[in-house]
Amino acid sequence: MDFDATCTKIRNMNAVSANKLLNTLELRVDDHLQKAIAIYQNLSDVHLNQPAAGGGWSIASCLEHLNSYGDYYLGEISRAIQKYAGEPGTTARRGWLGNYFIQMMDPDLSVKKYKAFKGHFPAEHLDGHLVVTRFIEQQHELLDLLRRAAGADLNRISIPISLTRFVRLKMGDTFEFIIMHNERHIRQADRNLNGVTGRGLL
Amino acid sequence: MDNDLKQLKGLVDAVMPLPEADWLEFAVLWKPFSARRKETLTAMGEPEKYLYFVLEGVQRVFLLDESGREATLIFTYAPSFGGVLDAMLARQPSRYCYETLSASRFIRAPYSEIKLLADRKKAMADFMHVSLTAALSGLLIRMAELQCFSSEEKFRSLLSRSPHILQHVPNKYLANYLGIDPTNFSKLINRMLI
Repeated sequence: MDFDATCTKIRNMNAVSANKLLNTLELRVDDHLQKAIAIYQNLSDVHLNQPAAGGGWSIASCLEHLNSYGDYYLGEISRAIQKYAGEPGTTARRGWLGNYFIQMMDPDLSVKKYKAFKGHFPAEHLDGHLVVTRFIEQQHELLDLLRRAAGADLNRISIPISLTRFVRLKMGDTFEFIIMHNERHIRQADRNLNGVTGRGLL
Repeated sequence: MDNDLKQLKGLVDAVMPLPEADWLEFAVLWKPFSARRKETLTAMGEPEKYLYFVLEGVQRVFLLDESGREATLIFTYAPSFGGVLDAMLARQPSRYCYETLSASRFIRAPYSEIKLLADRKKAMADFMHVSLTAALSGLLIRMAELQCFSSEEKFRSLLSRSPHILQHVPNKYLANYLGIDPTNFSKLINRMLI
């Protein structure tokens, strides 16, 4: 399943198969996990905290920023799925606002730099390995939520955004946003790898 | 012979080669099976119906107790057998969970069929006896390491047996398996990278 091709189709906000979307998202989370386990968790604390050339975020900062979103969204999604008593949905269609946020995060569509919102700005020095461990745990949780979501309805369940409970996104859009956001910052983190590939680190 | 069965035969021959006729009866029991990352193959309290042979991926057997404490007991990866073996042999509900840690591919055989074969064929029964003896021996060595070795010695011993495990298993589970505090495990990684 090609993530980018699927997203291209969705960019027009047409309905897509819910199962196809969930499977595509799961593959992307799996990729992120593979990278975190094969590479990030085996870097030294010094490397994880090294700022990017030009003063940008370190690998640990990028992942901690993602963890701060997971801290909020994973619990919200889990509770929403738990409460849902309806039939499973068969399709997913992006809402207008969801589509806007997802495209904003898509690293292939938008290279614009955004300032992190309050509550999502990582501290200056971090316990690098703890950050990676938490990231891995959250991705495991995200995989579990994607699988549980197959029994729910991606269109009918909505999740309040972290900035304000008055604005809500469809659950399908929330998943896409989180995973697209993860992809964006993982690519940013990767620019700090300096040629490390994960083979024979030790 | 199918490539998957070739790998199984490789392991069987390394343990104790079976007569050709017995091997053929054994081989037909095995069927392909695959699972995604973090899928439960055998849950606690469920029977262990299968003996698995791992072709791809990494899996673990672990205990989760009522207080939420976790104990990672065994990692399985190609080419080795997998499953919760004590539950399988005793035909009791499993005390442990067997899950995938990465996308995995196996062949697996119903233990009930293997047992029937072992009841009829002495070579099959002998093969199981030798395999279980080796597994028991491995467990005792591990118990001795857990009690006697320093954290660094345990870490190095694991790496000498499974050099690539750091690239395939989350460090949290490795630290748990070795009985090392996660903070100390991170310090070991940092020390080895300097």
